[in-house]
Amino acid sequence: MNKTLNRRDFIKIMNATTGVAIVASGITLTTFASVSEIPVTNKKRWGLLINTNKLTETDIDGMINACKQEQGWGTEIHSTASQKPAWIKKLKVKDKATNKVSSLALMCQHCEEPPCVDVCPTNASMKREDGIVLVDKHLCIGCRYCMMACPYDARSFVHETLNNQKEHMPRGKGTVEACTMCVHKVDKDETPACVESVNSEAVIFGNLYDESSQINRTLRVIQSSQIRADLNLNTGVRYSGI
Amino acid sequence: MNRFLVVFLSLFVSSVFAYIDEYVNLGEQASSIKLSGKVFHKNPSIIRKMHPEFLRHKRDKTLRQGIRTNEYSLKGCVSCHANKNKINNQYYSVDKKGQFCSDCHKKVGVSFDCFSCHRTVPREDLL
Repeated sequence: MNKTLNRRDFIKIMNATTGVAIVASGITLTTFASVSEIPVTNKKRWGLLINTNKLTETDIDGMINACKQEQGWGTEIHSTASQKPAWIKKLKVKDKATNKVSSLALMCQHCEEPPCVDVCPTNASMKREDGIVLVDKHLCIGCRYCMMACPYDARSFVHETLNNQKEHMPRGKGTVEACTMCVHKVDKDETPACVESVNSEAVIFGNLYDESSQINRTLRVIQSSQIRADLNLNTGVRYSGI
Repeated sequence: MNRFLVVFLSLFVSSVFAYIDEYVNLGEQASSIKLSGKVFHKNPSIIRKMHPEFLRHKRDKTLRQGIRTNEYSLKGCVSCHANKNKINNQYYSVDKKGQFCSDCHKKVGVSFDCFSCHRTVPREDLL
């Protein structure tokens, strides 16, 4: 077969090669990104923007279920209703004047100045450099001061012995826990599970400081608010439409 | 001559089995690595002595600084050192009686509290 390469074939081959090259480079990049040995810095600040106008109640239920799936909470059998963990809550707020009801998903607000960190006697409650507020369960003594201090009632206490936890999310009786903003995924350049579960752009996740990120660009043009902004905690989770 | 060979071979084979028996609780993957002749821990005695320090250092790096490398990660320990129940194809918890972690800890009389929070078997997709 002595066929010369015509123009169409040439373009086809070139397209295929470029495609493969792009995919391959993407794979290499993610492989490197997944094992970062560099500590997180305060050059980034992770945040969420929740648009309550776009977020339906089904979306919120989906977010809660995605969180349960990802982090492995919600299967406690011995705890009473008030004892059961709730990392995300569905909340309804009503404007008294217009009677407009909006539902919002309330989780740890990842404050810049978190009251839970201030009150923790063992340094277990802590904020990472990139703004994610976590509980170091190795140090947590279960005193629950942080639960009292949190203005958002975002933290839960584990009341029963657990087993078969998720590998990335150790949880145990006698420690406090809350939304981690899916820190194990964020460290791999992925998006939190609740954000992934929402199909619309009702929940945006990103770096608040990065001027090219979607969350930063959106926050600069729309009206948004922090819940209990009067406390000057500078939350990482922002809401629009309330 | 042949008789010597038989004696020698049987001694050799039995010593191999004795060797395996000694490490019966090493865990599914760890024993297969050991049998294949690969070296995972260059110096097991250092790991034996210092693993609490390594784990403690690693946990602070992971949790507080977000450095999620595999070196000295507890997940790594569990995924290699867990034994499998051959009948139902399920992993035994590493902190249960006679398993890798508890076996040694019981022998030296040191209690440990990793597994009241941490997962005791390799993650689901490794099953």
